[in-house]
Amino acid sequence: MSVEVKLGFVPLTDSAPLIVAQELGYFRQFELDVKLCPQNSWSTLRDKLQTGLLDAAQLLAPIPLASSLGLGGMQVQMTVPMVLSQNGNAISLSRALCDEILLDNKLSELPFPMPSNLLTKIVQRRAKKGEKKLRFATVFPYSCHQYQLLDWLKVENMHNVIDVITIPPSEMSGSLESGLIDGFCVGGPWSAKSVREGTGVTVLTSYHIWQDKAEKVLGTTDAFYQKEPELMAKLCAALLLACEWLQYLPNRFEAAKLMSQSGYLNEPIEVIAPSLLGSCLIQQNQSPQHVPHYNRFYESNFIVVNSPTLELQQWLLQKMLDSHQISSKDAQQVVVTQIMQKIVNTACFDEAVALLAKQRHKY
Amino acid sequence: MNKNDSHHENTTDKRDKLSILLIDDDQTRASELIAALENSRYQVNHLVSSGASLLKQVDDLKPDMVVIDIESPDRDILDSLHTLSNFNPKPIVMFSEQEDADIITRSVKSGVSAYVCGNADPKRVRAILDAALARFEDYQSVKQELVNTKQELEATKIIDTAKRLLMKSRNMSENEAFHALRKMAMDTGQKIEQVAKTLISVLNTIK
Repeated sequence: MSVEVKLGFVPLTDSAPLIVAQELGYFRQFELDVKLCPQNSWSTLRDKLQTGLLDAAQLLAPIPLASSLGLGGMQVQMTVPMVLSQNGNAISLSRALCDEILLDNKLSELPFPMPSNLLTKIVQRRAKKGEKKLRFATVFPYSCHQYQLLDWLKVENMHNVIDVITIPPSEMSGSLESGLIDGFCVGGPWSAKSVREGTGVTVLTSYHIWQDKAEKVLGTTDAFYQKEPELMAKLCAALLLACEWLQYLPNRFEAAKLMSQSGYLNEPIEVIAPSLLGSCLIQQNQSPQHVPHYNRFYESNFIVVNSPTLELQQWLLQKMLDSHQISSKDAQQVVVTQIMQKIVNTACFDEAVALLAKQRHKY
Repeated sequence: MNKNDSHHENTTDKRDKLSILLIDDDQTRASELIAALENSRYQVNHLVSSGASLLKQVDDLKPDMVVIDIESPDRDILDSLHTLSNFNPKPIVMFSEQEDADIITRSVKSGVSAYVCGNADPKRVRAILDAALARFEDYQSVKQELVNTKQELEATKIIDTAKRLLMKSRNMSENEAFHALRKMAMDTGQKIEQVAKTLISVLNTIK
């Protein structure tokens, strides 16, 4: 008899492992009756997971730590059995801002990846004239998008002179066009969509800012894991299989097809497929750039990309500190280390890998 | 019970209407809610999920309370506002399915938000908004108390340091040092903590 599992996610290109595991029957292989539950916002996904309305979820990598520390919502200890994907985000600018950059820096075209110092003159001019600051958007305060954008700007010490706001990814393209924002950092398919619509120009991907860092993770509350360790190991095993399947380029196009057909993304294949195939659309009517690691789900073995590590949690804590989301006094407390250790669920990951080994042995 | 009632009467007397920003794509539910709150102390401004323009609305309307559908994509915008220092915290009430609402409400302890069901029964809606507001104000006052306590502790520390500096540099007893500080405070019309701060910086410069 199969067990019902409510798995929450925000539909995006890197939801591929969940949709693949569902459509290819990997969850069923492990006797799980998974119900994929798409959510419209990260806050609601988090709240439903914290309160048990969802059993597990695909989360932005910083959410388990933020939740366990009580940042931005209730304090609920979470646990992460595996990393689902690396990279996958990109920074895009409005066409008006691009024109300004070209003029200021006497360029005929923008370099890719674009260094943030090309924004310096604009920022200085606006400050001098007392004009409106440049305004960028990300999708959630506790997201890699937020930290990647700030890190990109920080190289030139511009993170304090540019406003960063939160808006839903589906609103990005329109907000660029209306001039509400000058740029954004989002995950696929939203940058590709903005390029296809002619509203934005993608100037670099998150891979150019942080190489091969976790982007989405599988998460659940510690309470749920304590109650259902076997179920979580099975869920993790099915998703590991899907990540492994996604390593091959020929499978990636099939994944894009599954995703556009399943109706979860509600977007056409021409905006879902490129990043999965290592192609970064940069501007309408221009050749795409080759970014092989644009979406990374698996490499060589389950350890490289998918294993949960304490280093990741420490890295995220540092980013929260850099962004003033937590004070250094609070971050230094002994309990923070304990909280992070509890997030890193190697026991569940190891159990999932063992389940896979056993299953392969059987056939 | 009585205490609560009188509290509400007082606030109605003293203040103008409380403005509510309602974010809901469900027109029927929105109309029902607006109707339910007619002739109450609440004034509703309705907005459908609009993403970016929510920011402008919050800025323009400066609502006293926000009511939002928990499934709205705008929730992340609203949540992110709390991380901005120039946004004063506001009680947020969310609509959710009856069953979900009960589960979430039972679990939410923070007091920042309250969750309600989709049923817009007039009596119930008012009661829920009243309760959310009261709970929010309680939460804010507890938070303020915590800040005050922290500040008091900090002040005690500063006064102690100033006392010790005086005892050392002027050969005073603890009692004499404290009286000297108090006299300075009374003479200059400042808080004793302020005088202690000035004294510390002066004595440290001379040294």
